[in-house]
Amino acid sequence: MSQTLGQRTASWLNAVGRSVWRIGWPVTDKDRAAVMISSIFLHIHPARVSRHVLRPSATLALGLISGILFVVLSVTGLALMLYYVPYPPEAYRSMKDLQFVVTFGVVLRNMHRWSAHGMVVVVFLHMCRVFWTGSYKAPREFNWVVGVMLLLLTLALSFTGYLLPWDQLAYWAITVGTNIAAYAPLVGDRLKFLMLGGHFIGPMTLLRFYVLHCVMLPLLMLILVSLHVWRVRKDGLSGAEVHRAPAEPAEEAAGLFPASTKTHGLMALSRRPRASVEARDPNDEVFAWPHLLFRELLVALAVVVVLHVVSLVFMAPLEEMADPTRTPNPAKAPWYFLGLQELVHYSALVGGVVVPTLIVAALVSLPYFDRRRAGIGRWFAPERRIANTIFTVLVIISVGLTIIGTLFRGPNWAWVWPWN
Amino acid sequence: MGVAVELKSTAPVRLHVAFACLGLAFLIIFSWVLFHEETAEWRTTQAQFARLEGTVKNPHQLAESARVGGLRQIWLPELGRVDRCGTCHLGIDDPAFATAPQPHRTHSGAWLTTHPPDRFGCTACHDGEGQATDYRNAAHQPQPFVTRPMRPLETIEANCGTCHRSIDPLDAPRLAEGRRLIIESGCFSCHDIPGFEGLTFRGPALDSLGYKVLPDWLASWLEDPKSYLEQSKMGNFRLSADEIASLQGFLLSQRAQVPLDSTGVDWKRADTRNGRALFGEMRCVSCHAVNGRGGTMGPELTRIGDKIRRNWLFSYLKDPHRVQPDTPMLQYRLNDEELRDLTAFLLEEYSSAGAVAEPPPAAYQDARAIAAGRAVFERRGCISCHRLPGIEDSGRVGPSLAGVADRDPDELPYGSEIVRHTAENYIFLKLLMPDALGLPSSMPTFGFTPADAARMTLALASLRKADLPASYVLKPPPPKPYRPAGRFGELMSRYRCLSCHSVGGFGGDLSTVPLDRIGSQLIRDYIVTYLLNPGAVRVSVEARMPVFHMQPDEANAFADYLSTVFLDDSMEGYDASFTAADARRGQELYLQLGCAACHQLGTTGGYVGPELSTTGTRLKPGWIAAWLTTPSVYRPGTLQPDYGLSSADARALTAYLSGLGRSGQATASAGGAR
Amino acid sequence: MTEDRIDLQRRRIFAVGCFGTGAATAGFLAATFRFLVPNVLYEPSRRFDIGSPAEFPYGSVTFLPDRRLYVFNSADGFYAVSSECPHLGCNVRHAASGFECPCHGSRFDENGRVVQGPAPQPLAWYAVSLSPRQQLIVDLDQTVGPEFRLRV
Repeated sequence: MSQTLGQRTASWLNAVGRSVWRIGWPVTDKDRAAVMISSIFLHIHPARVSRHVLRPSATLALGLISGILFVVLSVTGLALMLYYVPYPPEAYRSMKDLQFVVTFGVVLRNMHRWSAHGMVVVVFLHMCRVFWTGSYKAPREFNWVVGVMLLLLTLALSFTGYLLPWDQLAYWAITVGTNIAAYAPLVGDRLKFLMLGGHFIGPMTLLRFYVLHCVMLPLLMLILVSLHVWRVRKDGLSGAEVHRAPAEPAEEAAGLFPASTKTHGLMALSRRPRASVEARDPNDEVFAWPHLLFRELLVALAVVVVLHVVSLVFMAPLEEMADPTRTPNPAKAPWYFLGLQELVHYSALVGGVVVPTLIVAALVSLPYFDRRRAGIGRWFAPERRIANTIFTVLVIISVGLTIIGTLFRGPNWAWVWPWN
Repeated sequence: MGVAVELKSTAPVRLHVAFACLGLAFLIIFSWVLFHEETAEWRTTQAQFARLEGTVKNPHQLAESARVGGLRQIWLPELGRVDRCGTCHLGIDDPAFATAPQPHRTHSGAWLTTHPPDRFGCTACHDGEGQATDYRNAAHQPQPFVTRPMRPLETIEANCGTCHRSIDPLDAPRLAEGRRLIIESGCFSCHDIPGFEGLTFRGPALDSLGYKVLPDWLASWLEDPKSYLEQSKMGNFRLSADEIASLQGFLLSQRAQVPLDSTGVDWKRADTRNGRALFGEMRCVSCHAVNGRGGTMGPELTRIGDKIRRNWLFSYLKDPHRVQPDTPMLQYRLNDEELRDLTAFLLEEYSSAGAVAEPPPAAYQDARAIAAGRAVFERRGCISCHRLPGIEDSGRVGPSLAGVADRDPDELPYGSEIVRHTAENYIFLKLLMPDALGLPSSMPTFGFTPADAARMTLALASLRKADLPASYVLKPPPPKPYRPAGRFGELMSRYRCLSCHSVGGFGGDLSTVPLDRIGSQLIRDYIVTYLLNPGAVRVSVEARMPVFHMQPDEANAFADYLSTVFLDDSMEGYDASFTAADARRGQELYLQLGCAACHQLGTTGGYVGPELSTTGTRLKPGWIAAWLTTPSVYRPGTLQPDYGLSSADARALTAYLSGLGRSGQATASAGGAR
Repeated sequence: MTEDRIDLQRRRIFAVGCFGTGAATAGFLAATFRFLVPNVLYEPSRRFDIGSPAEFPYGSVTFLPDRRLYVFNSADGFYAVSSECPHLGCNVRHAASGFECPCHGSRFDENGRVVQGPAPQPLAWYAVSLSPRQQLIVDLDQTVGPEFRLRV
């Protein structure tokens, strides 16, 4: 059979393609299932998902949005690293260069800053969602703990990045933040000394924060995010679980749904008492390709478009160069710490040390104390009224304190009305 | 086989629609980003310049136009500056654009020749945000978060002063005036001011005040110095009545030096007309103004009679250095009668109430009042300007002004003044009304005019916090002090030559004749004659050398020393053997060059320069020749023209001038010859 | 509407979305590349002032070591030749007839052309011009041929 040159070229190209992609563009169900596990990037997803979790109201895609923002931050951050110089006063000069002479420097810098702030907000909302849907309960306790670690990492990344512009806003915000940290008993001063790389904020501090911000914390974030997403896969989505089929029958299921006849090629024997692909009602499942992926793409696109609009309209602040001899009045921590700074205003120990420690301890230990299995996967389940109420009240207090610290505090931390 | 039933679901249409909308939105927004970058303000400006270049038709520029495009940057790592002003101001260094509209216009003046942009950039002189590339962000107008927006041209000399540290920098008249005002007002006595170290400003010593002044005068002076002396350098310390009273008591109890004995003087026979003659002879008005006219080296004497006790004035005129060792006033050689006449004249002529009976100096007994006065004296820092034994100088009472131009404007109290908060506005207000800016201040009110305060602010605005690299700083070394010893030194000190004359730049500038080469300029005998009786060589000069009433031996000592030491070797050894032909040629040249326009010879001629009839008895030929050849070397800015004389012509003129006044015949022939 | 028509409509809308996203993504990549190209350089300028014509007497050859240039003021005008040997970058020496490089023995004639030795190409000649203030300007970004002369 002699093929034409064109046919031979086409099949050669096809072979090259197959060597890279392994599975071509899926058109059959088998391919749709296979493509998920044949690609390193795609096999985060299961081959099939419950269609109930495709609804926006299931999780509001907050976790996904956080992930997307992290990717945006990494990409924009890498780009900015080519022009930013982590040595004062060159740091400030390089910020001005980004603003004035680097093509798209303004847009990239703005995007980096607004997505950083956005990520703190989204991560917080994600935590609220997880709580309100009871998705921290068994078997997802450890994932919740990893999530708390991720929240702290997000705050740490934002904080370390806050110093890098080396302007008055950055310098004094970090002064306040590190001084709050110094209130920790026993280790406070050492902690501050280690953070600053000395006794005052200077070139060594900037270098430390830069390395933390660009290398150490992102690496840690990558590892923990991978762990977090892997656990989501293993533990399953609570939103799907709630629609689970009745408890596995023995005989009638055996006829219709043979157990463990998956053909997905898993090598390990995984112990899955609950939340497993077979246990769900197969009528509720759809292929991840294209349904989940398409929706993920839309979310990503929406996030990118919104970020572009925000970056073009709102300029990230850049004040005068950092001047250790001139303190702005008031000197405020980054906004996500302003609730703490408001508390610190009353008592440094309580506000700066006790309250944050209690909050973190409470969050981390929550799933190990709340062992009741009721209400998983549903928003504001009535069985969990008490827990939800307590949590909501705490959220409102934190948000309220942050708003007070941001808008209602002026020079000398005196009360002001923001419309004055 | 398919175990799982695939739901009938390609995605609902609305998702596709959402995808389409988002995709298009992304595309539109991104296109806008690209468009925004391409239409940056500086690109438009450069396009304008390219069009202008075509009209300028300078072949060099047209070749240059290939270079227009892209950002332009001057990077000065030594100064820590990055200036991108040249991106829009493309014609700044090209004379062809002198009449072009801004921002293409050439820089004014010759500033870019002396300050090439590749060494100085732009913002070192003009301030502004050099790194920016558009009008608004470059802080052409004040911008938020820009500490130093572009400076208005009226105050740009403040930036000259950051590099040019001399008191009187060239081509910066406002700055020079400001610095001069600071020196005159003695700000550095109370404030540490970089650039004004080592200067001394002294008010009169107060250790004999009990014998010196009338009590009523002292009280009114302490209350407001300007009530007595309009040009008072002492400010109004805003003392309370109690403080004045106790300070008065303290000061009047200072009687360290008893006035010289004047009991032998018969005051009733004082001849005020002789006093007036002496007053004119001694040229007191060269330094002391009366009725608004005269010099400013010493205090005005318009109302001296209200202030001074008679015995003290007599004693002071007799020997000023006894009471005020570092006063610039010289000690004349007058006898007691002359002193009596002069004293009487001064007290009668220059007082508001005529001759009044003086109260005798009272002995102040109230120890508590005296102690209270001493406390006021110490607290207000009077010691900074007035020496008083027994009070130690505990350092400057005002804050240091180093880096004052970079003080944080938000930390300075502005009181209720509605002005933009800048360090310079603060300095200006502080100079005008030190006590009205929010916080109580012990700085006296000096009563500066707003113009003077503006100049001083400009001078102070050059005091920056950051150091400049040494290669950028221009600070001429201070003149070496000249303090001769021996008999000559004694005489120089007595007659205070250096109050008016300078040697090596050190001394005063009231006289226009520095003494560095005076021995080569003047004939020795003439020096003696002149010192004994300083006549007028110029008609049109206000300040004259006083009649010292010197002894002949003193005059000779001066002349010997000056003629031996203050020489210029290039002028010594000039061959003065002139022929008559030389002199005739000189006379011709004198007429040809029109010297009579400015110089008087005999009875005709102009009044601009010195009269020349006596030149032969006054000036040495070496000096005459040198002066005629290159006058501006010896006096920069002189009105004497440089005729470009050949040495033969200069010699001829010298021959002619050296003959004048010697034997008399030259004057007659000069007057008659035409 | 039949299912097929819905399908077609859906497909068209999807195509629009793909086009928009694809084009914007392509633009984003182009923008990223443009971002990477620096617009200003923190380096000494490639176009600089070497002094006034009077500082280079008639008939002289002046070596400017920090600029690595030989400046000639010849009978027919000014020209500037780079002293960087094209072989491996040593400074060539100006000899009686041309230039020679001490490092590996390359020899060049008066015009900078290689006469002998391992140098692969001639010495570079740079454009010399006169600024509006009558100063000599050398531009390292403009190479010229050996016939270049600047008449002043």
